[in-house]
Amino acid sequence: MTVSTASRGFWRSREGMLVLPALAFYVLIYLYPLSRLGAWSLFDDGFTLRFYAELFSEPTYFKALRNTLEISVLVTVICLILGYPLAYLMATTTSSARRVLMILVLVPFWTSILVRTFAWIVILGNNGLVNRAALAVGVTDHPLKLLFNMIGVQVGMVHVLLPFMVFPLYGVMSRIDASVVRIARSLGATPARAFLHVFLPLSLPGVAAGCVLVFLLAIGFYVTPALLGGPGEITLATMIDMMINTLLNWGLAATLGILLLVVVGAIFVLFSRLMGLSRITGAGGEPAR
Amino acid sequence: MTTDRVLPGRVALWIFCVLLLAFLIAPILVIIVTSFNDSTYLEFPPHVFSLRWYANFFTSAHWIEPTLLSVRIAVVTMVSATILGTAAAIGIVRGRFRAKRSLELFFVSPMVVPIVVLALGLYFMFSGYHLLDTPVALVLGHTVIATPIVIVIVMAALRVTDPSAELAARSLGATYWRALWFVTIPSIKAAVLSGAAFAFLISFDEVVVAIFLGGPDATTLPKRMWETIRFEIDPTLTAISSLLTLVAVFVLVAVELARRTAGGGDKA
Repeated sequence: MTVSTASRGFWRSREGMLVLPALAFYVLIYLYPLSRLGAWSLFDDGFTLRFYAELFSEPTYFKALRNTLEISVLVTVICLILGYPLAYLMATTTSSARRVLMILVLVPFWTSILVRTFAWIVILGNNGLVNRAALAVGVTDHPLKLLFNMIGVQVGMVHVLLPFMVFPLYGVMSRIDASVVRIARSLGATPARAFLHVFLPLSLPGVAAGCVLVFLLAIGFYVTPALLGGPGEITLATMIDMMINTLLNWGLAATLGILLLVVVGAIFVLFSRLMGLSRITGAGGEPAR
Repeated sequence: MTTDRVLPGRVALWIFCVLLLAFLIAPILVIIVTSFNDSTYLEFPPHVFSLRWYANFFTSAHWIEPTLLSVRIAVVTMVSATILGTAAAIGIVRGRFRAKRSLELFFVSPMVVPIVVLALGLYFMFSGYHLLDTPVALVLGHTVIATPIVIVIVMAALRVTDPSAELAARSLGATYWRALWFVTIPSIKAAVLSGAAFAFLISFDEVVVAIFLGGPDATTLPKRMWETIRFEIDPTLTAISSLLTLVAVFVLVAVELARRTAGGGDKA
């Protein structure tokens, strides 16, 4: 039997019948709307490339793209630096301690993003907890500007995206055989050497998965930059919102959407080909955007 | 490696992680404590405690109506995402065909597609069918976002269940669909229930699709919160935040219970 008849057989099989409703739904409510973006970006009165030309000639959009990439890279690096030690502790501690650590990551992870972003507005505001503490201690004599700028965006986004770094890291680290590190130690390696030359290299797939996941989510992030950022932190996502709701420029909004989609899609496909999809989805990474 | 010997490095690691977890948890705790304020200012800690912002939430139509709409949308989303996702997961894991990996990739891809982009596409599409500002549009959008989580959770469960029980049922004369309903589905019950609970929570908390597709006639609770946060600081938001945190904790506890009860008497 040739491959094509085998695949055609699938769609007549019972498993095919089980997949079909979801597939039909995805095509209608997921693929079709995304393809509408392509149409809106390419047609005005007939076919045109003027939206793309505008996108690449107007410095405002270039700045939004640069902001988006800058914010995303910084968030990814901070999440890695903060998340690696936490994942390491989770992977190497007792199972009861691990359970407590996991709960403390999962509760904020599943708490509404809007709630957490609002909490940061309350905490980082001029009259907020941080500023009152800083004024009381005498670190500063005027309220520090912690909101509606890069600081606010970074704090809010790291808070939301940190678990997306920790889960894949922990997933990989928990499968590292503890005995290989012990062997290195018994052969005379210092704890630091054993970590650097044995554990760290084995954990790199987790580093890659966590970084890709956080970066992908950061690129398309909307709620936190919109609420905690200022005019200097306009990203592609907040730009799209502006195009639709204030400037009413559907063509340009669609083009920005396509740009975002192409960047995300390229990274996703490349990574899943290189590393395997399960690293992103299987390691306990559950979405909560 | 599993024992925590008292090494300086180990102590430093624990201190670092405790501070990091404090960073993760503190904002939520601050909001919960602030919600019991009697003042119109967001005092922390409150000088006088009261439940007035909770009372304000539960008695004003401005907040309750969006909440009820959110519940309705989340329930319908939960049902549709669970049915579509569970069926698809079974088909992918048990089916024998070549495009399995690509299909799986396609089915989970909404997880990484920026929601703004999806919301924009749906906005264009639904404006053509006069579906903007309707609960139907929100349910459809939320189902796209929630189905992948059901698929991921159910697929993971199916991969560790033994298909031989299904084959045994078939060989004893059960039809494919009876075996599916009485053998396969019960064996992945915990995963299906977890997926459903998370699908509910994802829809209930969802902001971006709600902002793009909603309107005066279809304002969910997150949309109303969003509008409020942008223009004023209403202390009622702190009470709502506490309640939403409670919903999330409730869902997590439900998932854990489902996992435990099903984990016990599963297979001998």
